Amino acid sequence: MAEDREILREVWDGRVPVCIQLASEDHNTLSAPDPYYLMVPRLSYFPLLMDKVRKHFLRFISPDLHEEEMWLESDGMPLKWHYPVGVLFDLHCGGSSLPWALTAHFSHFPEQDLIRCPSREVVESHFMSSVKEADGLKHRGQIITNMQSKDHKQLWMGLCNDKFDQFWAINCKLMECLPEEGFKFIPFRIHFPCQPSLQRLIKPQTDDGRKVTLEELLQEFLPRGNEGDRVVIQGIEVPRDTPLQWMSEHLSHPDNFLHICHIPTQG
Amino acid sequence: MEEGKSSPPSADLTSESSLEHTDQDSNKATPLKKIDVLLKATGDAPIMRKKKWAVEGDKRVGWVADFIRKYLKLESSDNLFLYVNQSFAPAPDQLVRNLYQCFGSDGKLVLHYCRTQAWG
Repeated sequence: MAEDREILREVWDGRVPVCIQLASEDHNTLSAPDPYYLMVPRLSYFPLLMDKVRKHFLRFISPDLHEEEMWLESDGMPLKWHYPVGVLFDLHCGGSSLPWALTAHFSHFPEQDLIRCPSREVVESHFMSSVKEADGLKHRGQIITNMQSKDHKQLWMGLCNDKFDQFWAINCKLMECLPEEGFKFIPFRIHFPCQPSLQRLIKPQTDDGRKVTLEELLQEFLPRGNEGDRVVIQGIEVPRDTPLQWMSEHLSHPDNFLHICHIPTQG
Repeated sequence: MEEGKSSPPSADLTSESSLEHTDQDSNKATPLKKIDVLLKATGDAPIMRKKKWAVEGDKRVGWVADFIRKYLKLESSDNLFLYVNQSFAPAPDQLVRNLYQCFGSDGKLVLHYCRTQAWG
């Protein structure tokens, strides 16, 4: 188990370097402002990380945009703030060139593609909703329902403040199960660069007690994949014979979902 | 989307509600099959006279919320929350098919709606 805890720690410490530029149509100065560089945690959400960036750019935009919501774009693709940073990175950058070049916008909010995010509380309720949904799949919701609201708060604050021990002190309860049974279902979503995500039910074990692997999940739900397609979880291509139960316990995001990115072959 | 069908755009939610419209093998591309969605009011939300609707699986939750708003003649600025299993609020861009596949029962997906946050 010691080794596995190291994996949780490695996943928690995952960071991606980003370079954020202000959209040229939004700055009212002659020259473009300096870009803003930062390392962002894979497990976090962009709205929790953007206060300083927003403040940096406010000096360069016209006052009538000051109250507008800032949104991010990666190579023409608006970024969904309600996906964890690492999922967006794996889908839209993959590390082909670092740092990840993003553009910050204060106008032309893409209502069709993005949900509005007026406050941190919206991020919090989205996050807690995902945790509840995941526990509904894993334990029929019994564990999250029986937790006190201070435990919910501790999960959220652990994520916001990057406190591994604070977060895992509570999250370990959500990961409990009988070793011979595993979770009822594995909470997972498959994400694609340009189409809606897919979510289905899958059990961690077959009826005769055999462990279900990543390979079987992909065969069932992505039967038309191509040879060279990449399947990336937390930035790595996990061996296809890895059991789903182990993956769910160790590679899930703090929202308790296993986020699987399916990257088709180029060209 | 229902290509090649001549139904008017507003008839995406039709009044038919027979159970053969479920979407059980949607791992394959079966965009024509609709999903029965049961809309239940919670709290002080007005009740819809017709509760069961057949919805295309590739519609988003946000689209269903807009439909309810329109049906109940709410302002677009009015709050409307949708819940699955009376426990969690799905993201507005979640597909109805995904929710049905994971949380549907008896051939339908039950969504509770309310004007104020009801659960969590």
